[in-house]
Order: sequence, then structure tokens, then C-alpha cells
Amino acid sequence: MSEWWDYGLADFLLFSPRVYYRLFETMNSVWWIAVLAAFVAGLVAAGLAMRHGHRGNRVILVLLALIWGWAGYGFLWQYYQPINWAVAYILPGFVIEAVLLAVFAARPLPLRFGWRGDLTSCVGAGLLVMAFVIYPFVGLIEGRDLIQAELFGSAADPTALGTLGFVLMARGTWRWLLLPVPLIWCVFASATLWVMDQQVAYVMFVAVWLTIFSGWLDLKNGVTTRRLTEAELATPASLSD
Amino acid sequence: MSEIDRRNFIKGAGALGLAGMSASIGLTVPGLARAASSATVPDVIRKTVASTGEKIPAVGLGSWITFNVGNDMVLRDQCASVVSAFFNAGGRMIDSSPMYGSAQEVIGYCLDKLGAHDRVFSTDKVWTSGDGAGQIAETAERWHTRNFDLLQVHNLVGINENLPLLFRMKDEGRLRYVGITTSHGRRTDDMIALMKNERLDFVQVTYNPVDRKVEEYLLPLAYDRGIAVIVNRPFRGGSLTQQLEGEPLPEFAADLKAESWAQLILKYLIAHPSVTCPIPATTNPAHAAENMRAATGVLPDDKMREQIAAVIGVLV
Repeated sequence: MSEWWDYGLADFLLFSPRVYYRLFETMNSVWWIAVLAAFVAGLVAAGLAMRHGHRGNRVILVLLALIWGWAGYGFLWQYYQPINWAVAYILPGFVIEAVLLAVFAARPLPLRFGWRGDLTSCVGAGLLVMAFVIYPFVGLIEGRDLIQAELFGSAADPTALGTLGFVLMARGTWRWLLLPVPLIWCVFASATLWVMDQQVAYVMFVAVWLTIFSGWLDLKNGVTTRRLTEAELATPASLSD
Repeated sequence: MSEIDRRNFIKGAGALGLAGMSASIGLTVPGLARAASSATVPDVIRKTVASTGEKIPAVGLGSWITFNVGNDMVLRDQCASVVSAFFNAGGRMIDSSPMYGSAQEVIGYCLDKLGAHDRVFSTDKVWTSGDGAGQIAETAERWHTRNFDLLQVHNLVGINENLPLLFRMKDEGRLRYVGITTSHGRRTDDMIALMKNERLDFVQVTYNPVDRKVEEYLLPLAYDRGIAVIVNRPFRGGSLTQQLEGEPLPEFAADLKAESWAQLILKYLIAHPSVTCPIPATTNPAHAAENMRAATGVLPDDKMREQIAAVIGVLV
């Protein structure tokens, strides 16, 4: 197997930025209804997640499960996988994430979304803003057309970024289960964009470290490990710390 | 040219390239070139594959990155325009790999669209430590072809299994030529050992006026062993020509009728007696035709080749 050690990251860049951004242009043109629907669904989920102690947890999880399923099939399988064979190895992760989100929605697991006002919530909200508002339109600054915008809900990068934000906005013992897939995707995307010499690679990289740091803070403060009390489960409004 | 003649050339010339001795090094002057399948195809410099004596156009077409356009039909048709311009300018060899994403499928699409399966010198690779035969079958399916002209072991991956497989295919008449590839100067020692011990028809290496390490030993060895040489990354993946963009061509470029840095670099490569076929990649049909025009007219002699390398070395 030693022959595989000879390869560097740049050897696995198989496509040009032109071809990469054309993927979004084609998808946005062909599937515009689905792309817009997924984006709006994400906005609804984000709105619910930001509301203090709202009871929309299950709705958020169902919407996110659908979004991950769509991003996996619509973008990764149909468009990205043909130009990047490495995607085939990551695609099952999108299925796993969608299933996990669906399981969280279906089971009475102690996972609750809501603004807590701590640093982790701020990072989570920041990642949501980045995923919904900033990331899709960064390309405009670089001279790309609006039709090539990478929208949350369909394009994998902002979907993974936003999902990290959602998870950081949540609390509960099992939420860490939802982190590995978006984290792995962000690392993969960051490496790909970096090799393509795209500055936005740093956004994905920073998001990974902010998430890990915030997760560590929560672990340290007991937010992650402490089970929700019966009272908290019964009264979401009491989730504020 | 016999094996003895080639060795005498190396000893006698004591240098790597003399364009004036083109006949001795397997060059065919344009006027004598074998007629291409299309009557309108211009004559280009052809170089000899020593193991058979077959002469092939001295510039080919790579597909790394440029042909990996997935299912995007607009970009696929652009690729077909590139292939069309390449063939119409006298080109034949197209090279790909299972590593290059959808490039193989796109080449198959282009050849179907142009009805050009009989015009191509099909060159691909096997790149797996597992089922090489299965991968080759998939590759053939993507090209919409049954047999390849040349298959190479990509970056020596799975060499112990894949090289015997390719030799077996050649012995059975399912493959015309066998080769090995490397790039960026990797695994040179392994490459040299294989060139000394195996009956290879082709090797593929990285070579350009900036990356010249292969001139020291590998290219003379290829010449001595009668192994044809394909050159990858002639423009360093495009970065070399990008760096030279805007710089005025040296005066002696006019003597070679070189219209661009790309042509000057390709002429530098083609003029080396060991080099059979550089394979520049492009997404631009005009560039494909321009690259092919490097295989026409005068080639630089040794002194001029050194000048080319020196000028480019200063500018990049």
C-alpha cells in the first residue's frame, strides 16, 4: 500500500472551480422549487430554534432530516458525486445524519432547541447566520452569478455549517451524535476549497474549531452531560439557565 | 531504428537532443507523415514508438481536471469542441485515468458525438490495488470501446498485479501497448528499475522546462531501452503558462515560428529525442489547435532548448 502514501492533497483535486460552481448553477436552475422549499424549510427551523423554549423541537428535527436527505440525494448523488469519486464514501454519512435526525424526532429523546444566551448559543446563532445569509452570497463578492448561490438545504457546505449551528443551539445528552457527520463534511469541504484556492475554505475550517471548542465548553459546564429534568421536559420555558 | 543505432546515437551525440538529426531520433517530417483518416487533417510531426515502429502525432491531449465535468451537458459539449479541434489539427492520443472523475465518460461522450472512435489513439490507466481487470472493463465501458491502444499502471499503484495483467492482455491481442506512469518525479527509482527489467512500450513522466530532473537519467534510459515517453504536466497543470502570460516571447521564438509560450514549451519537449508525446490538457478548443501547431515547422536544437529553459527559468 506504500504507493498510496505518495499522494498529496492536491493530487485529489479532480475538477476546476468553474465546474464546481456550475454544479450549483445547474441544480438551482433545474430544481429551483425544491431548492427554495428546502431553504424556506431551513429558515422556519432556524426561527423555531431561536425562540426561547419553543415547543417546535420535533418540527425542527423533521425538517432537518428531510433537508439532509435532499442535500444527499439532490446535490451529492446527482451532481457532486460524478465529478468527485470521494463523495461516494461520504454519502452514507448524509443518510446516517438524516436517519439520526428522524430518530431524534420520533423518539422522546431529551433534545431541546432554544436560545440560552451563553457562548455556545452565540456560536450556534452565528453559524446559522453564516449558513443562511452570508455563505450563499460570498460568491457574489468573488464575481460569481447569483444563480450559483450555495443555499442552505440543498448545497452541502451551508447545510453542514447550519446544522452545526442547530446542534449548538440545542441541549441534551445525546446531541453530540448529530455532530460527527457535519463536522467531517466541513473538514472535507474545507480541504477541497483550500486546494481550489478558495478563501471560503477558512470559514469551514473555523466553523469546525468553533464547534469543537463550544462542545468542550458545554461538556465542561455540564450542559451536554446533564439530563433534562422532568420539569424541564414538561416546561420548555424553564430551559433558560 | 535498431537498438544498436539508438545506443550509438546516445554515445555519439553525447547530448540529449539535436533537432537537426530528426530522422535519427524517430521524427517524421510533416511532408512524409502517414495520411490521417481525414483528408483535411494537417500534417504534423510524428514520433516513433520504438517497440513497433508506429508513428504517432507528437502532441496529445490530457484530460486531468479539464474533462471532469460530470453530467453538465453544456460543459460536455465544450469538451467535444476541444476534441474536435484537436483531431482536426492532426492530434490522435487522448489520455485519461480512472482517477479523473467523470473524464473517461466524457471522452466516450465526445468520441460518440464526433463519430471519432477510429481516429483516437486511446490511452488510459489502471489505478487500483484491487480488481484491475474489473476496473479496465469499467474504463472500456466508459470510453464506449472494446480495446485500448495503450494502458498504463497509474503511479505504479498495484504494480505487482497490474503489470502482469497488462502484459497478459497484450499477449492475448486485447491491448497494443503497455506502460507505467508517474508524476511530480515520484518513485523514480522504482520507475527506473521497471524500465530496466520489464518489456515496457511506454512510460509517462512529468517534464517541462522547469522540472527537468528526468533529463539526467530517465529519458536517456528510455531512449536506450526503446521505450516511448509520454510527458504529463508540460505546463505544470496550467500554472507555468499562467505565470508566463503577458511576458513577451524571446526573439528566437520567431525562428521556431512559435506563437505562444505554450507552443515554445511544447517544441522544447518534442525536440528531446526521447520524448514521444506531451499531453497538455485544455478546456479551450483554440488552445487545443494551438498546442497541435507546436508539432509543425522547426524544432529547437540543443542550444536553443537550453535558451528556452533559461528564459523560462528566469521568468517563473
